[in-house]
Amino acid sequence: MSNFREDGPGYPVTEASRVDKVSPISRRLRSLRAITVMVIAIIMLIPVFVMAITAFKSRSVIVSHPPTIFFKPSLEGFVFLFTDRAVVSKARQPEFKAAAETGELGLVERIALESGQEVTGPSDYVNRLKNSLIIAGLSTIFSVVLGLFAAYAFSRFDVLGKDDLLFFILSTRMLPAVVVTIPLFLMFRQLGLNDTHLGMILLYTVFNLSLAVWLLKGFIDEIPVEYEEAALVDGYSRIQTFFKIVLPQTMTGIAATTVFCLIFAWNEYAFALMLTSDNARTAPPSIATMLGRGGIEWSAIAAGSLGFLIPVVIVTFALRNYLLRGVTFGAVRK
Amino acid sequence: MATIELRQVEKKFGDLHAVKPLDLTIHDGEFVVLLGPSGCGKTTTLRMISGLETVTSGEIYLDERKVTWLNPSERDIAFVFQLFALYPHLTVRQNIAFPLQAQGESRETINERVNEVVDLLQIERLLNARPSKLSGGDQQRVALGRALVRRPEAFLMDEPLGALDADFRESMRAEIKRLHIDQHATTVYVTHDQVEAMAMGDRIVVMSEAEIQQVGSSNEVYYDPANIFVANFIGSPGMNLVSSSYSDGIIHMPGADNRYPVPDDWRAPLGEALQDSGDVIVGFRPECAEIVEDGTLAGNVYTVDLYGAYSMLAVNMNEQDIVHIRGDRLIHYPIGTQVRFDIDPEMVRFFDPATEKTIKREAIQ
Amino acid sequence: MSINEAQVSTVDQEMKKQPRRRQLSDRSIVNLFIWPALLLLIAMNVFPLFYSLYLGFTDYSAIARQQPVWVGFQNFSRILNDEQLWKYFATTGRFALLSVGLQTLVGFGLAMLVNEKFKGSGLLTTLILIPMMISPVVVGLFWKLMYNPTFGFFNYLIGFTNPSTAPDWLASRFAGTPVPGMALWAVVIVDVWMWSPFVMLLVLSGLKAIPDYLYEAAAIDRASAWFQFWRITLPQVTPLLLIAVLFRTIEAFKAFDLIMGMTGGGPGDQTELISVNLYRQAFLGQWRTGRASALAYIILIIIIAISNLYIRYLNQMKGES
Repeated sequence: MSNFREDGPGYPVTEASRVDKVSPISRRLRSLRAITVMVIAIIMLIPVFVMAITAFKSRSVIVSHPPTIFFKPSLEGFVFLFTDRAVVSKARQPEFKAAAETGELGLVERIALESGQEVTGPSDYVNRLKNSLIIAGLSTIFSVVLGLFAAYAFSRFDVLGKDDLLFFILSTRMLPAVVVTIPLFLMFRQLGLNDTHLGMILLYTVFNLSLAVWLLKGFIDEIPVEYEEAALVDGYSRIQTFFKIVLPQTMTGIAATTVFCLIFAWNEYAFALMLTSDNARTAPPSIATMLGRGGIEWSAIAAGSLGFLIPVVIVTFALRNYLLRGVTFGAVRK
Repeated sequence: MATIELRQVEKKFGDLHAVKPLDLTIHDGEFVVLLGPSGCGKTTTLRMISGLETVTSGEIYLDERKVTWLNPSERDIAFVFQLFALYPHLTVRQNIAFPLQAQGESRETINERVNEVVDLLQIERLLNARPSKLSGGDQQRVALGRALVRRPEAFLMDEPLGALDADFRESMRAEIKRLHIDQHATTVYVTHDQVEAMAMGDRIVVMSEAEIQQVGSSNEVYYDPANIFVANFIGSPGMNLVSSSYSDGIIHMPGADNRYPVPDDWRAPLGEALQDSGDVIVGFRPECAEIVEDGTLAGNVYTVDLYGAYSMLAVNMNEQDIVHIRGDRLIHYPIGTQVRFDIDPEMVRFFDPATEKTIKREAIQ
Repeated sequence: MSINEAQVSTVDQEMKKQPRRRQLSDRSIVNLFIWPALLLLIAMNVFPLFYSLYLGFTDYSAIARQQPVWVGFQNFSRILNDEQLWKYFATTGRFALLSVGLQTLVGFGLAMLVNEKFKGSGLLTTLILIPMMISPVVVGLFWKLMYNPTFGFFNYLIGFTNPSTAPDWLASRFAGTPVPGMALWAVVIVDVWMWSPFVMLLVLSGLKAIPDYLYEAAAIDRASAWFQFWRITLPQVTPLLLIAVLFRTIEAFKAFDLIMGMTGGGPGDQTELISVNLYRQAFLGQWRTGRASALAYIILIIIIAISNLYIRYLNQMKGES
């Protein structure tokens, strides 16, 4: 029988709704559902939260048992991440302590001193972050530009074997990194591109190209072709039409694609691990190698992780309406 | 089959009235058409009867059974949607069987009743196809089949022909009408097409601005519209409505010498309603006027449209007031020339410009 | 958008200055626009693939001074007869099955939960999507910390507060006793955590695409909520669910970053997935380039075969509806 008392749900329903959706029972179910989702979301976000707070823990806090949520925040992780340090010998310790007390030492030095170390210079990680920025940034520009041209041609013209070509472009993204890396390593060695910025930029450009083509084609497909036809009739050339009509209207799509390419290049690990060693090494593989040096530098790893977490949170929110396209290469839209 | 009764049923969307409180009784076996322009509340009314829309206040009864707050599934009504709403992943047979399967009927019963409906609608050839492969007309036949197989208390149809091509419409209209005659099922049918409404409805409920304007048979709403809205909305073109003034049995219509003596049986009611003089709107259908050489009224030919069986003249009584008059298809009426015409005294109607309501003959007598 | 007058006038001026510049034909524009991208893909993807196919038939090590020596199918037959490798394939298959299966269930459930809007549902949905955007190697590293038996949060949160009686997930030990397979489960848990949102995202878009009128028709047809789910919701989202499963299965066979960050294949070889082992053969130890190329091709063929199966099934479903 019905979920209702004789006189309805007990409140006036002034929106469009099915009778069985306003019943008191379904209202209760809906709030139950909201609570369930909230609980699941919290559970799923615990690791992210732990990641964020661990970046501000000192080594001793991180390895304490039981693990703590409330602690005295410390920038030790960041100092460890960005500097090379040496142990201060017993003899020189009083001298350092005095310097710290008189305020001669900067914040970074003081934090290092807390674990009995002095700063000897910036760490490799600084260089690797720089590499990451250069490689991710430039490769993204190239993929988006090349991808935009190709996407426009695929979207607006009959290209011989279009579907096959597009499928081929998509399939390159499905290759396991290791499979392509073996021959690439040999090729790069021949060309002197191993462990160079140029080599990595080329590689990441190609890596993101399929994504860029597919995403941008989706966006361009959505622009009615009539605008361009009108411009062509008005005497614009194809090239002018592309720059004056298509480009301005694809701006949102270009922005979304750019951000996706950036984040994927920023996050990339496998190629960088296998094709770089020092000169062009990016941040992800070098965070992982921090496990090695003289015990696990958990505070440094946690601090480094923050550099991957924060962009992701921003990007997830900024691109929430395009995430579906981004992670399925535009194969699935709305 | 069932009687449907709406008592002071009202629907608000936020502060907006989609349906102002209305009363309506649909009798057992009757075919009632809800007619009105888009946004008049006719579909909302239908959806409230079905339970797909809640009421804000008021009561709905199905055969004396109060169903206001029953789920759609508990009301035992079938609903035919404008866009057919067939299940795209199921075959035609599965679509028709769906309501029976949902009730957990036995396989034999399902087969038997599906076949019955399939015979009735003559859609055997479609049974194993999927809806997307069917023409609009066939899709609607399947949707009807899905409704019929239920043997429900009442059928509700929301513009079932609205999504069909013009040539399908006519034949489907006949099919639905035929089905109703055979099954004699209580049916509420929503449309914005007045021709469809007049052709199909036992009774027509004309709605506008969230209110019922008139309830009546095709003839009643066509020849005796309750108000200016109905007069205008029904018919194509609608009823001619000419703002005029009345004094002492004579109506002064626009144009130099257009004085129209009021027919005898109208004198008393008009005099009563207008207190011997005042503004009045004269209404008459295009086919209720006749072009004659010595007609009492005159105007200039503005345009002539040939309709095949007849021609439709637009006649300028003065600058603003144009009336439509049906003319002989064989006679040539040069544009700009003067024509004279008479209005059939039986068929002339009068409206009060203040209330926009019709002035009634009978009420006074 | 309309072409504003300023633009038109500049074009007019350009045209006057340079009367009738020869315009590129559409054909040459297509070539000009497509070929740079294609060439790059050919140079960096197609050529390497052929190159490594050749290498697969040779005995070669990238760090030896010797040139590749053609050995025919020797690499392939050795790989297919290598029990160790079969074990890694089996581990990979188990990992794919477990994690894709669980992701599908969890993701589908999540999608059903957040499909109906409530206050804050948009925010929560976006928050849930964060894990899949994080770099997998960082996720791996971080979960290594989470799983740590003494100072990790994971055990603590699931109720093991005493390290000596708690599971040491990544060492496959429970209170000191070895429990083989535990580390793989630990990896599966992280993979499910990371990628269930992906399945949710796709299923959600499938759910949103189901028109309301189908549910209205079903309500009229007296279908119960359960009946509606099985007969309308499920069949309607199946195509997108399959796409999600296809993507995830391919990714599971490629899984590398996560493992490298978290276990490096250990303990022993309990989480040695095939792509991790491929890396080990190609770039560590003796650099068995020829043999690794052959193994890479075998993995590639498996991935292509799986994708084809899915795509055929998908097309079949599309053909029916």
